[in-house]
Amino acid sequence: MSMPKGFKSRKGYATIAEIPGAMDYRTIAEKMTADGDKMNHATARNVFLSAMRKLALPIHSLYDLDDDDDSIMVTAKDPEFQSGIVDMIDEYGIENLR
Amino acid sequence: MTELLEGFFKQVGKTDLLSREQEIEISKRIEAGDKRARDQMIKANLRLAISIAKQYQNKGCDMEDLIQESSIGLIKAIDRFDWRRGFKFSTYACWWIKQSVRTHIASHSASFKLPTYAKNMMFKIQQANAEYEREFGQKPTNQEVADLLGVSIDTIESMIECTVPSVSIDKALGSDGGGGTRTLRDTIPDESDSVETVIDNQKILQALRGAMSSLTPREEKIVRLRFGIAEPDDDTERFPITESEYSDLKDAARAAKKVGAK
Repeated sequence: MSMPKGFKSRKGYATIAEIPGAMDYRTIAEKMTADGDKMNHATARNVFLSAMRKLALPIHSLYDLDDDDDSIMVTAKDPEFQSGIVDMIDEYGIENLR
Repeated sequence: MTELLEGFFKQVGKTDLLSREQEIEISKRIEAGDKRARDQMIKANLRLAISIAKQYQNKGCDMEDLIQESSIGLIKAIDRFDWRRGFKFSTYACWWIKQSVRTHIASHSASFKLPTYAKNMMFKIQQANAEYEREFGQKPTNQEVADLLGVSIDTIESMIECTVPSVSIDKALGSDGGGGTRTLRDTIPDESDSVETVIDNQKILQALRGAMSSLTPREEKIVRLRFGIAEPDDDTERFPITESEYSDLKDAARAAKKVGAK
């Protein structure tokens, strides 16, 4: 994926290579489409980031961080944040976090 | 050094050493059953016992125990000494004292006891190492020692591992015992989470709980798929994917990517 000139991600990009059973956006899109929710990989990514954004929001409030959309989106995309969410879900189970 | 030990050393230092003639005379009295003469012989030679015990300190045993063992060796030597042979008592006694101390170290320096064959094997390994070093001017590898002794390398490695001295974490720091009340345990960092981290995690958890409830079923499903989170066993309706299905989906996604690229 090309990036605007001069753009440099500070913490790298979130990857799923090291998470067993994790899927890339295209595979997710295929699965969702097969299950009757037609979407392409970009939509899969957008829905995922929307979920991450919802999870990042209370963290920003908790630590008194900027709560503008851009700042929250930066956290939502942050691989370290996403990795932290995976660890939390792994430890407590997604059902127990609801 | 403990006060008790210092007092003992001072007391021992006050006793005069025996001359050759005195040794013979006392030995004759011991033979005749004189218990006072035996005590005198012990007291006069305690300095020898202590000096030998000191040679074996830092071998994993307390100095007090080493002195006790060397004293036992000294008593054995006194009971077996034959003045008619013409040797000085110290020449004869040092062998008994060393034997007593070495036996004690062999059985008490480690937290577990090694069987005799293992001790013999260790002795052979040390000898092979020394001989190799003398001949080639460098230390042999474990494989070379194993070849020399005709045993497997696993045996050699296990033996070496067994002989690593174990140290009590309650042992006071500092060789002179003057290191205050600090023990080895006090220097081991606590790797568990600090109270602040635990509280922080609890707050994050609480915050996430609320946020997780706000995810739509669609978002939750995609988060699960993205992170490969195990699907609930009882929810085969929403998560009916099997391994082969996953493989098929991946192939389809790859094909779609290729089409997109064209």
